[in-house]
Amino acid sequence: MSQWLSEVIAEGQRQNDWLSGNRQQATAALANVKWPVRRQEAWRFTPLVPVEKRTVSLAGPSEQQSTAPAIDGLDAYSLSFTGNQVSDEQGQVPEGLTFTLFSKADEAQQASIQALLGQVKPSHHLFGQVNDALLTEGVYIHVPANTVIDTPIRLTQLAASAGDQHLRVLVHIEAGAKVSVIEDGFGDADSLNTFVSEYVLEAQAELEHYRFAMYTQHAMHVGSCHFKVAEKAQLTSNIVGYGSVLSRLDVDVEYTGEFANANLNAIYLLAEGELFDLHSTIEHAVPNCTTEENARGIVGDRAKAVFNGRIHIHRDAQKTLAELNNRNLLLSRRAVVNTKPELEIYADDVRCAHGATVAEIEEKALYYLLTRGISRSQALIMLNFGFIQELITQIPNAAVSDWLLHRLRERFVSMEVK
Amino acid sequence: MLSINNLHASVEEKQIIKGLNLEIKPGEVHAIMGPNGAGKSTLGYVLSGRDGYEVNDGSATLNGKDLLELEVEERAREGLFLAFQYPVEIPGVSNMEFLKESVNALREHRGEEPLTAAEFLKKAKAACKQVQLPLDFLKRGVNEGFSGGEKKRNEIMQMILLEPSLCILDESDSGLDVDALQVVADGVNSQRDGERSFIVVTHYQRLLDYIKPDFVHILADGKIVKSGDASLALEVEKSGYAFLGKAYEESEA
Repeated sequence: MSQWLSEVIAEGQRQNDWLSGNRQQATAALANVKWPVRRQEAWRFTPLVPVEKRTVSLAGPSEQQSTAPAIDGLDAYSLSFTGNQVSDEQGQVPEGLTFTLFSKADEAQQASIQALLGQVKPSHHLFGQVNDALLTEGVYIHVPANTVIDTPIRLTQLAASAGDQHLRVLVHIEAGAKVSVIEDGFGDADSLNTFVSEYVLEAQAELEHYRFAMYTQHAMHVGSCHFKVAEKAQLTSNIVGYGSVLSRLDVDVEYTGEFANANLNAIYLLAEGELFDLHSTIEHAVPNCTTEENARGIVGDRAKAVFNGRIHIHRDAQKTLAELNNRNLLLSRRAVVNTKPELEIYADDVRCAHGATVAEIEEKALYYLLTRGISRSQALIMLNFGFIQELITQIPNAAVSDWLLHRLRERFVSMEVK
Repeated sequence: MLSINNLHASVEEKQIIKGLNLEIKPGEVHAIMGPNGAGKSTLGYVLSGRDGYEVNDGSATLNGKDLLELEVEERAREGLFLAFQYPVEIPGVSNMEFLKESVNALREHRGEEPLTAAEFLKKAKAACKQVQLPLDFLKRGVNEGFSGGEKKRNEIMQMILLEPSLCILDESDSGLDVDALQVVADGVNSQRDGERSFIVVTHYQRLLDYIKPDFVHILADGKIVKSGDASLALEVEKSGYAFLGKAYEESEA
């Protein structure tokens, strides 16, 4: 047990509100947790040393008005959270859905939240339980059956030096409904932030999901996104990771009904001494579901990327189609990638493929660009960036795609110069 | 325009070009024919400066500039253009972005303002039409998923946009049906303005029915062994490379 975890437990037990039941459960579980050391596979390449000796300091109300970076052309209902509360609100709650802040939930809504909280998130996530114990604000979204919501919802966590933030998002998409949610996080201030989201997709529901973990420098982040995907439901998730002292994202998809599919695209772009760790687990518990997961990263300087992609195909999950691909490009000799695709297959009639590569720039492609008068440095930028640009251009929301393209290109160019 | 003297070049220490001389004046079209392994493609790579192609002796100047001293991209900026036999696929870099970067790199070299997105788009669309490629090819990855013929037409489109002073067409006819061949030839012929020069490297005479050469050279074992006018190509078509001796006939087979 680390000093920090003891404090988390104490703090969780001290909180006395309508979520106390959930908190108590979490703190009881945390009391039995063995603090992860590097011998444990889940944290093998991502040391928790920066967390161990921290003191728990929950962010108080933030005095300054903090807003998320604007996404040009995006017409969304947007909330930013700083200091564990809403610091900025833009647009209107889209018509047709229920949108509730935990802090403003009435009794009936509190009951719905309590019923859903922790139902999608597997209990083994240490920081997920920390979020259970300490969460101070959250969002509950309920989309009724067969309702198509065109306006995306954007939820932004802004890391601040005022203290640690623990944000929770619960989304219940009923049968045949459709919605798009953008979760993003920014900031470089010394802080420890968890951001846990849980999604229930009922039959034939569709979710267009985004998670951009753009924390940098001293802003530590351990976040997670969990999905339960029912019959014929469709999930697309686009993930972007920058690195900080410690940045980790866990993604879990569990199929609960047949003929559902999930398409996950992840991009990470790491500079300096940054660390980003992406763990994904896809549980094919039922037959006839399809997963396609592509993760691509560019790692420069002394940065380190960790990718662990697990696809678990249960004995009954016949006719599963699953593809997992991780490609990496190292820009320096000191850059490190630890990549591990894991396929665990117990069914015999499935089609699965996985691969992980560390790519190099193709000499032929570089030569081709040079023969057209393009400078070597510009050609290298085009080729290296082209590698992840492919995934960005597949993003369904054009405004988000343009924004990312611009932002990631800028970051990439600044990496090249160093 | 282009002046090659006693050029010797090797790849991985194997001598491929063995004393090649070639003089090209503005506006001329020179065809280079020859059996497989004669060094036809190597010549294009050496002149464009590809890594691994080492010049051991001789010289090559373009408009008075020593080509061999220049980097690959500098040669392109001085007006050299190589249309590839096998154009490279680059997924993730759009054709549009690629073309715009190259056009503007050349403009910058000439001291001209870069084209705006709108100006470039107009030019690109016109060039696209000229080589009969659908406009959505501009949005696709460079050569990504293009058929052999589409790749060749994309090369010609680049040539039209980049307005080089010397174009080397490396087997631009290979793998093309007659219609595609016509499109490629029309594209090339439209660029013949009395100033621009061409080296047409080809294995078959067929392309030369469409692009009329002023001179035809036979390249064998790294040297030009015979030069003549267009009738030389017809002669090769009729009787093969027999006049080169038995060894070449075998290498052909």
